[in-house]
Amino acid sequence: MTAVAWSRVAVVVMVTVVLQEAVLNGVVIGGAHPDAFVALAVAAGLTSGPQRGAVIAFGIGLVADLFVLTPFGLSALVYVIVAFGAGATASLGSGRAPYGFSMVVALAAGIAATLLFELIETLIDQPQLPSAELAAVAAVVGVANLVLIVPAKAALARAVRSRPARELAGVSGGSALR
Amino acid sequence: MSTTRRYTSQRLTFVILVLLSVTAITLDYKGEASHTISSIRSAARDAISPIQRVLADALHPLGDFFAGAVNYGAAVRENQQLRGELGALRREVLQNQNAEHELQAILNEQHLPYVQNIPTLLAEIISGPSSNFQDTFEIDRGASSGVGVGMPVVAGAGLVGTVVSSGTSTSVVEAITNPGSSFGVTFGSPPSVALADGRGSGYPLSLADVTSQMPVRVGEQVYSSGIAGAALPAGLPVGTVSAVHYQGGSLTKTVLVKPVADLSGLSYVTVLQWLQTP
Repeated sequence: MTAVAWSRVAVVVMVTVVLQEAVLNGVVIGGAHPDAFVALAVAAGLTSGPQRGAVIAFGIGLVADLFVLTPFGLSALVYVIVAFGAGATASLGSGRAPYGFSMVVALAAGIAATLLFELIETLIDQPQLPSAELAAVAAVVGVANLVLIVPAKAALARAVRSRPARELAGVSGGSALR
Repeated sequence: MSTTRRYTSQRLTFVILVLLSVTAITLDYKGEASHTISSIRSAARDAISPIQRVLADALHPLGDFFAGAVNYGAAVRENQQLRGELGALRREVLQNQNAEHELQAILNEQHLPYVQNIPTLLAEIISGPSSNFQDTFEIDRGASSGVGVGMPVVAGAGLVGTVVSSGTSTSVVEAITNPGSSFGVTFGSPPSVALADGRGSGYPLSLADVTSQMPVRVGEQVYSSGIAGAALPAGLPVGTVSAVHYQGGSLTKTVLVKPVADLSGLSYVTVLQWLQTP
């Protein structure tokens, strides 16, 4: 991936920060709000594969950790695992993952990320959410990911692309994006 | 062969990233880097706060539209009285379509009898909780306005939370319902003292250390204790006892307290410029 592509990824992450902090934090459903960072981490895995996706997700996590009061690095750890898992799952199939598949992965990853976050918090002796609230958070983050994964994947796919679109048009599968 | 090498490379990268994350968590958790991380976090919040303010102002009317539709007649009558009192203080706000609701919210913060002589500072909430795992919100006042870590935050009826992070122009407030939030309270006559613990957004507070001998009734008012070295001044309304459970033979009672301030629909809060005495 070129320096230009990395800078485009950085712009996508910054836009996500603004979207999350200024808009999505206020969209509270059942005491929980959508998490665009999780969707972006999943999109990183789906568009860039497990290895590069995990690296991008690590960066996304460190940025996300700047805006919360949970231990620094916790989001990064969760997003690395989620992106690696999403990337590994996508690489099991051949060619570019269709959006239907991406949405299923995003839903599952949203729920998994929430539970993983709570599990790690428990391991490091942080306060835990009540079970009902945890279920609400997992549901909201998972369902919101169904929607957020579409723009997140599109934005990251464009950002990590290192060749002009017309060259990519003739390339089958998602190999050019990895 | 190349596939094996690729998988090895992928796993190695994954392990390195996990170790880096765990190292960051450890450094923050153990306190070695927490001050630096806190400074970076404050700077990041300050950087994004102008955009948050613009979008918060733009999006408030949407919520206020629905609230105003329900109580429009009463709001108009109240507003006629309140306009005279407030005068030029928020004339700019009056020009907005959602002025009636905002005006009421601000005036609610102007008359807080329990504050006594503690200096106060009105603040607008510009963002809700950044994490689903913490019950916090961000206000548009920071160190430049005199807001410091540990200052209590109240709204209308009573205590809302405390400032846990303060940047130049914004601060983060931990709500009293946040899991992990804990502070001293007093209730009943003769006064009993206990610890109030947050259990999550929308859940009542739980009182710890309430012995079976302590008299406590449902409906009783709970206030911040303010005993020597307390994190909060005395007498701030916290909530009302909503449930008392006692199993025969147990040494303690389970007491739940419903916060007196409605934490879900806040737009303005008041920061009490009071700091814990060392």
